[in-house]
Amino acid sequence: MAQQSAEYVKHGRLSGARKRAIREAITGYLFITPATLLLTVFGLFPLLFAVYISLHRWRIRKGAFIGLKNYTKALGDPKDLLWFAIGALLFAAAWFVWKSMTKERRTWAMAVKFLAAVALIAGAWGMITGLGKMIESGDRQMFESFMITIFYAVGIVPMQLGLALVLAVMLYQKIKGKDVYRMIYFMPYVTITVASAGVFRAIFSRRPESIANQIAGLLGIAPQKWLQESTGIWNLILRHFNPDIHLGFILAGPSLALLSIMLYNLWVFVGYNAVIFLAGLGAIPSDLYEAAEIDGANRWHIFRHITLPLLSPTIYFLTVITVMGVFKAINHLLVMREPAAQGTVDTASLYIFDQFYMSTRFGYAAAIAMVLFVIILSLTYVQTRIAKRRVFYG
Amino acid sequence: MANLAIPTAEKQKISFWYRYNVGHFLLYFTLTAGAIVAAVPFIYMLLGSLLTRGEMMNRKLFPRNPIQGLHNYVEAWQEANFNEYFVNSIQITTITIIGMLIVCVLAAYAFSRIKFPGRDAIFAIFLATMMIPETILLIPNFLIVNQLDKWSKPALPWLNNWPSLTIPFMASVFAIFLMRQFFAQIPNELWDAARIDGAGHIRFMVQVVLPLSKAVIFTVTIFQFIGSWNALVWPLVVTSKPDWRPIAVGLYSFISEAGPELHLMLAGAVITTAPVLLLYFFTQKQFTEGIATSGLKG
Repeated sequence: MAQQSAEYVKHGRLSGARKRAIREAITGYLFITPATLLLTVFGLFPLLFAVYISLHRWRIRKGAFIGLKNYTKALGDPKDLLWFAIGALLFAAAWFVWKSMTKERRTWAMAVKFLAAVALIAGAWGMITGLGKMIESGDRQMFESFMITIFYAVGIVPMQLGLALVLAVMLYQKIKGKDVYRMIYFMPYVTITVASAGVFRAIFSRRPESIANQIAGLLGIAPQKWLQESTGIWNLILRHFNPDIHLGFILAGPSLALLSIMLYNLWVFVGYNAVIFLAGLGAIPSDLYEAAEIDGANRWHIFRHITLPLLSPTIYFLTVITVMGVFKAINHLLVMREPAAQGTVDTASLYIFDQFYMSTRFGYAAAIAMVLFVIILSLTYVQTRIAKRRVFYG
Repeated sequence: MANLAIPTAEKQKISFWYRYNVGHFLLYFTLTAGAIVAAVPFIYMLLGSLLTRGEMMNRKLFPRNPIQGLHNYVEAWQEANFNEYFVNSIQITTITIIGMLIVCVLAAYAFSRIKFPGRDAIFAIFLATMMIPETILLIPNFLIVNQLDKWSKPALPWLNNWPSLTIPFMASVFAIFLMRQFFAQIPNELWDAARIDGAGHIRFMVQVVLPLSKAVIFTVTIFQFIGSWNALVWPLVVTSKPDWRPIAVGLYSFISEAGPELHLMLAGAVITTAPVLLLYFFTQKQFTEGIATSGLKG
């Protein structure tokens, strides 16, 4: 100790630099203190607190500790959950074996491949029966809300990104009035959600003079109930030919009400996505295009082999943003939801909000929120894995 | 050779010209059609807000007397109590933006220009919190704000008051992220020169970094403005009376009440959207550019 301080005295400059580094570090910590404090209180701690809440009977006031009861109420019999999990694991393992075997050319690979295929089917079977039993013994409405969220996300991502990409490519050409187009396309994104959702509630009204019904009339379609229609879209179309058709929940697809909300979603976000795609297009170096043109590539080839790969980070970013948006969207759903839609537009977020705000089941709502969180985390994991393989960072 | 070359060039020129023309026509046609689809809800909102009740009932699309239709706005304004909601929203937005700028500029400056142990790890944790959906934080945060309300009750209540509506939003990771990117690009020579002149971090930040970063501060401010103006669920949860309820909540309850009075509802929608749309029209360029860069780097 004494030796050390003696050395400090001897090398006065070194100790000065050290002192300055310490002072620098203290300044840094002081600067981030307010943000860290706020994020800890309102961003990180709530995550742990939500777990704590979900383990209690909690309706406005905290009740007794009930362990995992809220979770079993939501997810059903733990035995079925175990079935589902084992099935999923088996399925994943068999999938990896199958994938690695496709490169293998030796004869015993055939046998392993066969076993993998059997395991794959067994895993899938375990998953499906497990899930079916879970839905039976658990909270059916919650499972439906997850399914609705999936319908929403799966439907909206390709439509939104595809349209936005087409728009962006068109706006990227040498055209007049580019700024005017861009301004108009972007307007929906800026509008207050409650206001625009209110306008769309009037547009998708069941009244025969509503805009949606007038457009449907131009296309030769009979007036629809739109936001008040709880029937699945495939049922609706097929019943036009045969009124006796009745497809199940999943086969029937999203209800017309949910489809109307998806169209609203499309209207809001296409311009925003196009602006981001435009920025991505602008970042592609033009010499690549020139080189390709010299090599005799046609427009489609250039788009397919230069534009798309170089846009893949943007596509990935927008996919993540859109899926996350579907998972947390509540505002427009609160405005556009009609009782007549019979819960066919209630996504997971809205269901949690209802359980929390309308039914004041804090503990139960927190448990569903944690389930949703686990689903989102695993989805993000899958997305990054796919991205690692598919996304090309120049 | 030359004989052959001329006709092919000619032919190519014609077909190219042909394609060029049709292509351009299609381009403009599709872009305009898309723009009309994007604009129709706005046009509908404006026209519908000027209809009289009778015209609305009779399925009219165009108002016969638009000047008289302006009366809808007065009626909607009074019926929905927009006076109070507007003032609330302006107050909430202002407090949030000022607080957010102070908290986030400091943090972004530290993360980009000050060296301290654990800096990158802490920043990574900051970024990770962005992945937690608000739906999950809603319930615990409501209970936390309730507790804070109990602790500070007589002096500064949280519920039905500005702290619960503004303070949780002051640490915006997105704003910190964007500004950090920007601050990091400021050349180190400037910092060296400032230090020789005897300036510390705070003076350098206020006198050099901030004036250079007007663009990013503007972007971040606009994002916060839209976020605060748009907020519905959280204000709905932490307020129980109109005293501090913002405009989105006001419009939400007006829509649920004014169901059949469509023309008034549309007038209300115009009133609430107008400030944001006006801001957008005047700052359009910075606006879209700010969003584009945020998307590229996010």
